[in-house]
Amino acid sequence: MSAPAARALLAAIWLGLAVSVPRAEGIILALSTREVAITSTYTGAEITVFGLIERDAQTTPRAGGYDIVASVRGPTGEVVVQRKEKYGPVWLTENRRRYAKVPLFFSTLSTKPLALVTDEETRSRLKLGLEFYLPTAAPGSDEFGFRNALLRLRREERALIDDDKAITMIRPDLFTAKITLPATAPTGLYVVDLSVLAEGVPLRTAQGGFVVRKVGFDAFVANTARFSPWTYALFTVAMAILLGWIANAVFRKD
Amino acid sequence: MQLYLPIAELPLNLFLLIGMGGAIGFISGLFGVGGGFLLTPLLIFVGVPAPVAVATSSVHIAASSVTGSLTYWRRNAVDFKLGLVLIVGGAAGTVLGVFFFNQMRKLGHLDLVITLSYVTLLMSVGILMLGESLRAMFRQHRNRTVPLRLPGEHRWYEGLPLRMRFHRSKISTSILPLVVLGCVIGFIGTVLGIGGGFLVVPALIYLFRVPTSVVVGTSLLQILVTMIIATFLHATISQAVDVLLALTLVVGGVIGAQFGARTGQSLKGEQFRLLLALLILSVGFRFAFDIVGAPLDRFSINAVELER
Repeated sequence: MSAPAARALLAAIWLGLAVSVPRAEGIILALSTREVAITSTYTGAEITVFGLIERDAQTTPRAGGYDIVASVRGPTGEVVVQRKEKYGPVWLTENRRRYAKVPLFFSTLSTKPLALVTDEETRSRLKLGLEFYLPTAAPGSDEFGFRNALLRLRREERALIDDDKAITMIRPDLFTAKITLPATAPTGLYVVDLSVLAEGVPLRTAQGGFVVRKVGFDAFVANTARFSPWTYALFTVAMAILLGWIANAVFRKD
Repeated sequence: MQLYLPIAELPLNLFLLIGMGGAIGFISGLFGVGGGFLLTPLLIFVGVPAPVAVATSSVHIAASSVTGSLTYWRRNAVDFKLGLVLIVGGAAGTVLGVFFFNQMRKLGHLDLVITLSYVTLLMSVGILMLGESLRAMFRQHRNRTVPLRLPGEHRWYEGLPLRMRFHRSKISTSILPLVVLGCVIGFIGTVLGIGGGFLVVPALIYLFRVPTSVVVGTSLLQILVTMIIATFLHATISQAVDVLLALTLVVGGVIGAQFGARTGQSLKGEQFRLLLALLILSVGFRFAFDIVGAPLDRFSINAVELER
């Protein structure tokens, strides 16, 4: 790929815009924001994806209408799951599993419950679920228990979200998808993979993305802590001593 | 009012944080314990990642110890000489502790070691103190004074070489057992991620018969130095100190420590020891319950780390 073409493609992804050739159906996507800025008052964010399904005279008619499914995949990292076991009178951590390169945020959005949209095989092909990013495990095995626990606990922590009401069809060919990002979602690049289906068959996919990052004061603090740790430590200790001394001076009676 | 913490990477209520800092600060000023064994679990409970909770607690403890030890210093209730001897031992213990910590982590036994030592330490120290203070209060109730030290009584370890006189504490002892005590506390403190005040205070009272009034100020001084070293280590090696979280906790903590130190001065020796014993015991029970009771969920997520 030539450099300008690569840059154009990159720009398209960056802008949250993906255009596919309208042979059968096509999709045009637009995201309400490209950057989620974390400031001191950040408590999470909501991003809206607008999508248009392109049709023309040659397009096959779809009597059942369209279904849209999307996955939002955050930056990857390592997750450790541990299990307690009874040893005599006490419960102690007996075993643990390390899962590397797991998306630390994952959300599946759809127009209706996934089971009604498509079958298991298509779900696996489209990677609609965090389980498709984990190593496979035979049912009943030890590994399987850990894998299920990871999915269940990540769901409780809201790092894994299934929302079958997040996508709304405004018109048969026009939809919006609402991405809910909890405040604990990690900083980094997020990829939105969207598929249009009709009668359970995927017709077209498109990709968009956005960035979550700290700005202003929070970015300054995080950068200082990471790149000038000694200055950061000195400042922190000085702050502690100064505040301790001030409090003592203010409250002193004698 | 929610405040986003840049290193802990989550928003928490500002007033909750100040209140938590204040409560722990009060206990810290009252008993001369750092309060790390209370604050760290509390922070983890509200959702702060464990490394950030441990690292940031050390900043809070440092600030509380500054204000607490200044109050005691002004009342001439700090034995600097004794504190210095403890700090020397403590520094050595900290280095040993870091080494041991990493060895155990490699072997995968760290969880077990931490939980069991927490329970054993808290329970045994708590029960010993509770029994002693109740006996003392009971005897005093019958109008008999019970001096902690009988005149002329000396323990064998006080007679070891390198004898030194600590005027403020009214004791004269070999510095060897004191350095060893500092070293043991530094070691345990590093491994368990606590200041170790809840061990220093009873040890000085019972093993060296240092007057209660001097013990607290001296313990706070030792904790202050240890926690400044710990903050530097945490900020440079583990990079887990959240300055904004520390600031909110410290603001609450230094105020709480003031009231704590004031209340502490008006407590009688036996009352002080009884209350501290009850506090230590209740934390011990909580940890014991953690490992004895069947967990609600056998699985838990231990660490989530972003790839950099």
